[in-house]
Amino acid sequence: MHSIEEQFEKQLDQALESNGLTPLPEDRAALLKAFTTGREQAALVFSVAEARYEEPDLIFSASLS
Amino acid sequence: MTAPDVVAPEEGALSSALTIADAQTALRDGTLTATGLLREAYATADAVDETLGIYLSRFDETAQAAAAAIDAAFAAGEDPGLLAGIPLGIKDIISTTEGETTAQSLVLDRAWGAGVGDAVVVSRLRAAGAVITGKLTTMEYATGVPDPTKPFPIPRNPWNTDYWTGGSSSGTGNGVAAGAILGGLGTDTGGSIRIPSAFCGITGLKATFGRVPKSGCVPLGYSLDNIGPMARSARDCAIMLNALAGYDASDACAVEVPTEDYLAGLDGDLSGLTIGLDRLLGKAPNRDPAVDAALDAVVDVLTGLGATVVEVELPLWQELNAATRITSRSEAFAYHAPDLRSRWGDYFSATRTGVGAAIAFTGADYVQAQRVRRVGQKAVAALFETVDLIITPTSSVAGWKIDELDSMADRFGSMHTGYWNALGNPALALPMGFSGQPRAGGLPLSLQIIGRPFTESLVLRAGDAYQRVTDWHLLTPAAADRSETAVVAS
Repeated sequence: MHSIEEQFEKQLDQALESNGLTPLPEDRAALLKAFTTGREQAALVFSVAEARYEEPDLIFSASLS
Repeated sequence: MTAPDVVAPEEGALSSALTIADAQTALRDGTLTATGLLREAYATADAVDETLGIYLSRFDETAQAAAAAIDAAFAAGEDPGLLAGIPLGIKDIISTTEGETTAQSLVLDRAWGAGVGDAVVVSRLRAAGAVITGKLTTMEYATGVPDPTKPFPIPRNPWNTDYWTGGSSSGTGNGVAAGAILGGLGTDTGGSIRIPSAFCGITGLKATFGRVPKSGCVPLGYSLDNIGPMARSARDCAIMLNALAGYDASDACAVEVPTEDYLAGLDGDLSGLTIGLDRLLGKAPNRDPAVDAALDAVVDVLTGLGATVVEVELPLWQELNAATRITSRSEAFAYHAPDLRSRWGDYFSATRTGVGAAIAFTGADYVQAQRVRRVGQKAVAALFETVDLIITPTSSVAGWKIDELDSMADRFGSMHTGYWNALGNPALALPMGFSGQPRAGGLPLSLQIIGRPFTESLVLRAGDAYQRVTDWHLLTPAAADRSETAVVAS
């Protein structure tokens, strides 16, 4: 069983590789922190029940006028 | 309120308390010339730029020629435009014909800006007679924080040079505050007009998304980016918006909604308006207690102007801030991915780790963030059925020391701007007080006024009314005195 932190580290490594990114070693801690926060933010937007049947506005300004 | 140490405008000289509106009048009654105004602006920059980091490049020659042409037009009895003779700076992610557009980055191909020439907004300012003084500092690609290992100026706050200006429209913020320019263009994807306006004690407007064309600007978040005015007052922002607003087909996001005369409604009267106040208590990891005292004073002022202020709670606060982050990171990564693969180390540290971390998001995350934005728009529209305007603090803190900056990720939660980028509403940041003593290390505090989409006139009317009876926006840092030793350091 891996800890949450270890799972995020593994996911980060996979994402870096699949995106062809080779960060500097000194960036590792900041990247992991941002990656972890990112996954939390993704979970947060999926917690919005009202969005279940909402359509996105992919040309954002269309919904303003 | 009596403001200490206000520098009064003097005939023929640029004081940083001089507003665009003041200069418009003085240029037309002959007490000021465009060439004289530009000379004073550049002299101020000469005195403070090394310390403050305002400019990346200056256009002395073309600016002097433009100012001389304006003077000649005035002498011939012509009125060369709304912004005739006004020295304005341009954040260096917006393309101009003169000089390079760098995005304050080693990575951006300089051929891009050369191919664009003047962005639509720059063309509009020039057509209104503005004198474009140069390109101003930003955070790299309008994101992140300064990186001292890279060969660019580090913008400092003229109120206390130990502190950061905020970003990313940093040079526009400290340039206006120090009196090196009377106004300028910033851009705002998550708060980059409003945050430096807040930290530097000036006024800045993010208009409704799509109101001001953003073509000719290096993108950060395609569905979040705004170009807008930064100046000393709401009235000055209205003057600039009169030149900037309006549809242009070159921007796929521009909206074809009629513009207004944004000066017409600035009558100082807020009678009959209901203003919702969300203090955003408990919504930030840090909170300066001076913010709450300043908000109490704001409520008294607005009530005195005839408005009714009611407490409200903004819906989906955390969720919409998350939507902004997911959207901005993902859209930025789409633009930067090829260069991040090949030139990772050439980017600023905070840029590469911040934008690079977009790999945390899936395509579904991005689409879900857009769906949450729609839900948020409907929820906030429902709130706006009960109030005419909403006010919040722009930030729960007055600023951060430069040597304590690491990444914006840790700071984002104390700034209350990104929520409105997710929604698109117009939002004005304006000074509402100080944390500490002005000119003794203290830093400005800022109020945010938000309206329904395309109600910039009402937002500016409220900001102008507030500034008619307060003078926080006219306070000047010692840097504006133009003494080589006057810049305050605590």
